Amino acid sequence: MKLLQPFVSTLLLVGSGVVSAASSWGFDDATVTVQAKGAGVGAGTKEKLSPNTPLSKSVSLGATDTLKLLLTAVDGKKAKRPHQAFLTLTDPTTGLEESFVLNVKESGKGKVDLTHKDLPVQFLTSTKPIVASIVIGSFGSSTPYNSKAFELDIARDANVPLAIPEKPLRYAVENEIHHVFRQDPQSPSKMITIVFAVGVLAAVPVLLGAWATLGANANHLGKAMGAAPLSHALFVGSILAMEGIFFMYYTSWNLFQTLPAAAVVGVVAFLSGSRALTEVQERRLAGLR
Amino acid sequence: MRGLFSVLLLALVSAVSAVSSTGGRLLVVLEEHSEREKYGVFFGDLEARGFHLTIESPKSESLSLFKHGERAYDHTILLPGKSKGLGPALTANTLLDFMKKEGNILIALSSDHAIPTSIHSTLLELDIHIPSDKGALVVDHFNHDSNKAAEKHDVLLLPFPQALKPNVKNYFAGEGLIAVPQAVGQTLGNESPLLAPILRAPNTAYSYNPKDEADIVEDPFAVGSQLNLVSAMQAHNSARLTVVGSAEMLQNAWFAEKATLAGKAVKTANRDFAARLTEWTFKETGVVKVGKLIHYQDEGVSKKMNTSLAIPEHNPTIYRIKSDVNFQIEISEYSQDRLAPFLPAPGDHVQLEFSMLSPFHRLNLSPISQTANSTIFGVSFKTPDQHGIFNFRVNYRRPFLTSIEEKRQVTVRHFAHDEWPRSWQISGAWVWIGGIWVTVAGFVAFVAVWLYSAPTEKSVKKTQ
Repeated sequence: MKLLQPFVSTLLLVGSGVVSAASSWGFDDATVTVQAKGAGVGAGTKEKLSPNTPLSKSVSLGATDTLKLLLTAVDGKKAKRPHQAFLTLTDPTTGLEESFVLNVKESGKGKVDLTHKDLPVQFLTSTKPIVASIVIGSFGSSTPYNSKAFELDIARDANVPLAIPEKPLRYAVENEIHHVFRQDPQSPSKMITIVFAVGVLAAVPVLLGAWATLGANANHLGKAMGAAPLSHALFVGSILAMEGIFFMYYTSWNLFQTLPAAAVVGVVAFLSGSRALTEVQERRLAGLR
Repeated sequence: MRGLFSVLLLALVSAVSAVSSTGGRLLVVLEEHSEREKYGVFFGDLEARGFHLTIESPKSESLSLFKHGERAYDHTILLPGKSKGLGPALTANTLLDFMKKEGNILIALSSDHAIPTSIHSTLLELDIHIPSDKGALVVDHFNHDSNKAAEKHDVLLLPFPQALKPNVKNYFAGEGLIAVPQAVGQTLGNESPLLAPILRAPNTAYSYNPKDEADIVEDPFAVGSQLNLVSAMQAHNSARLTVVGSAEMLQNAWFAEKATLAGKAVKTANRDFAARLTEWTFKETGVVKVGKLIHYQDEGVSKKMNTSLAIPEHNPTIYRIKSDVNFQIEISEYSQDRLAPFLPAPGDHVQLEFSMLSPFHRLNLSPISQTANSTIFGVSFKTPDQHGIFNFRVNYRRPFLTSIEEKRQVTVRHFAHDEWPRSWQISGAWVWIGGIWVTVAGFVAFVAVWLYSAPTEKSVKKTQ
């Protein structure tokens, strides 16, 4: 019995249309016509609709066309005027719905006209065909009818711009933003740098070589050291020390460490320099330079 | 000592029994005192949840929403009555003023009763539209109770609402079917993000006026799911207003009633739904609260983020550009009677903006740890390469949740002179550095040669 139950209920569901056929809503003689603007009566495409199966091919609606849906609402077998007779369009992607009321006469004959102007903009921009279903229902005990009738393909003229209203503000999560950092400064490839740096460093031996060919030497070193050893040692030493101070300033010292040291070394260079240069002058006067 | 203790205990007990996060003083505006019995279970449930109910007639002299310029009640329920007006104490202006002072309102409409003009204009002010003709109601030939409304089809039987969107929390979920008898449908304006539908009509429903003689609906007020049976508005100050299309659904008669939907016997679950509705409207659910907000510089010692609340909220006021910063915020959610850890709906994120005029960063915050009654959300990022006055900003606004707006201002400075890389670290500078030292070496060599060079034959000749 338990096994049978779902089976029975599906039977009931299927049968509900048949069993209560005497009191269920439906329609007859339904046609959907798409007529181009200016075309004569009967010039457009015409399709017959059946209440049980939706139309196999979709109906195309152009920008200037008019879609006309005609049907006769029936309660059981008898034509009757229902309270509710809607053509409901549903966007399959967003689920947006819009219903159009059929103008139904006493005799149950109903009709509705549809053009692009009647459709909300979301339907016009939809990429998938729009599902059109017919809803017929009324008060009392008759089973109402709601079934897909056909698919509507909206053909839009690409040249005509569409006034799409701006999306209203809704509170929801927003897209992440990651700051795009400016590019770090770039250095040329190290190979190039090294080649040029070696070129620059090579200037020292070139210079010394050039001086050597011109006859530069240090032959008087012994003579000078003999004449004024202290002042020469201090003078050359203070010049080297000054370069050392510059090196320390470049690498780690601040100005307040550099200046006192430079002052001390400067005084030493001045005092010892005047003695050392006097010795040089004496050599010159002696005709040795 | 004992006396002090009992006073403390009393304070604690009274704090526990006040369930809503904003207070328990509830005003019920009901015209007919005799109708009180009809809502007995509804009122009983509210009292059991800790609300202190004051039931007043709109005609009462003493009725006033304000006392000495402050709210006299925390929440208000407006139930429909016979008369067309609600009197001087409940004009549209006072209702809006009540909301400006963060009072919450639940408005119940009924198609049997005239809708007072003050409610009409309040709703219009909030961009909630209801049919202007008296008696208009929602019918559905597909989802009605065939017990009580076999002929008129005006008692809708609907499942509990689904989440508004997949990434929005659903505070109105439940089991069973809700009966909505003789509802006044509402439509919501499209512009405002503050409006949200709670219970939508099924897509075959429509609103019509039974007084219309026509036996066909020609120009329905609204159709299908664009028609709301219960809708909500949450103002910028988080005051809430709920419009219930059918006051009858809050009555005892429909709280647990036998009904028939498409031949199947069901029991209505209106009592549950009414509880969900009032819980949300009176701020027992969907209330979020910010605790500690901490940001600090990542020193690079450990790249792990702090996950505890132990460190105090002493946030630095200055950061350097391009430095690593950690940010964390503690958020809890009020759930019925206590604070619980808050977690956003799947697909939703609390977001941090690091902004100067416009956001430079907008980052999703991820939950990094949880305490007994809060979640700590955090993210780490690099400050942008632009100095100026920036804000850490968390602006979390979602339907059905009170809004979070937190801002912390910091200065972002550029590199100090000693924070740049040294010149020898830049390979492109090696040529120039080499040039300087070549000059130095050349100078020293020149000094030595000038001081100690003996004249050669060649140079002697030259000077001659």
